Amino acid sequence: MTGALTMLGALLGAGFAVTYVWRFLGVLAVKRIEPEGDLLLWVRAVATALVAALVMRITFDSAGVLAETAVLSRATALAMALAAYYLFRRVELGVAAAVISLAAAEILLRPLM
Amino acid sequence: MAGSFLGFGALLASLGIDLRAGLASNVLIWALPGQVVFMDMWARGADVLVIALAVSVTAVRLLPMVVLVLVTARLPGAPRWPEFLLAHFTAVTMWIMANQQIESIDMHRRLPWLLGLGLALMAGMLVFTCLGFVLADRLPPVLAAALVLFTPAFFLLSMVASARWRFDYLAIGLGAIIGPLATAWLPDFDLLLAGLVGGSAAFLLARPRRRGAA
Repeated sequence: MTGALTMLGALLGAGFAVTYVWRFLGVLAVKRIEPEGDLLLWVRAVATALVAALVMRITFDSAGVLAETAVLSRATALAMALAAYYLFRRVELGVAAAVISLAAAEILLRPLM
Repeated sequence: MAGSFLGFGALLASLGIDLRAGLASNVLIWALPGQVVFMDMWARGADVLVIALAVSVTAVRLLPMVVLVLVTARLPGAPRWPEFLLAHFTAVTMWIMANQQIESIDMHRRLPWLLGLGLALMAGMLVFTCLGFVLADRLPPVLAAALVLFTPAFFLLSMVASARWRFDYLAIGLGAIIGPLATAWLPDFDLLLAGLVGGSAAFLLARPRRRGAA
């Protein structure tokens, strides 16, 4: 376990490097780059799709406590989050809707499923 | 933002990751999507090069963010090292808060103000990460699960809220569809594949048209 933790620590150092390199380039580029050029927009699209895939994976394909809940409850919770966001245009309210829906679906509906 | 780090703490507990590693990622990576990609892939035993690449992909968006924050604060002729320090603290919440308040701050004080803001945010989030980690253990399983769901729900809505072009929405949809397929097909590279294929397709299909461009 200590070995794994050392490994994790080393990898976190690498995580710092691969993250900071873009911040570093940002400082160098401050006088030159167009923040909304085609290249950066494409990168934005790639990162967005990657994070969307991550959202699906954490929600529907992770071990841990979420896996104990019904898939339908989780899907309902994300749908409620989007609905609440579009209704109120507030991210916090959407997230609150997701959290409450998941708990409600599990407590109220689980016995029926 | 506090809530999202509460969720991150709960996610760490759920993935079975050491709290110290999570706290170190707050200080070292300081960008939540990268941290979550990192921890999720690590918990699945992904290859270290693939982890590094995926984390880096999520971090490219910090480049324009650093540029946008710095142009409001840098003084011509001043030493540049504080700018490199500030860059490390630059992430989405700081960028939003800076946007809201920087105008009211004297030009000479902006850089130190931003550094203080970044440091305060980081310190606060260390506390919230610990709190989420502990809560996940103490709460009934249903509430702990709800706390873990916080992170994906927050990411999803943040992406929708910051979407400005059609390709943003398309990238969210394609990433969400390709992600699970890629997990089944090429589990080691699924996030990278979903990002690269989904993002590129979205960008090509709904490429923004610019004002002034023929």
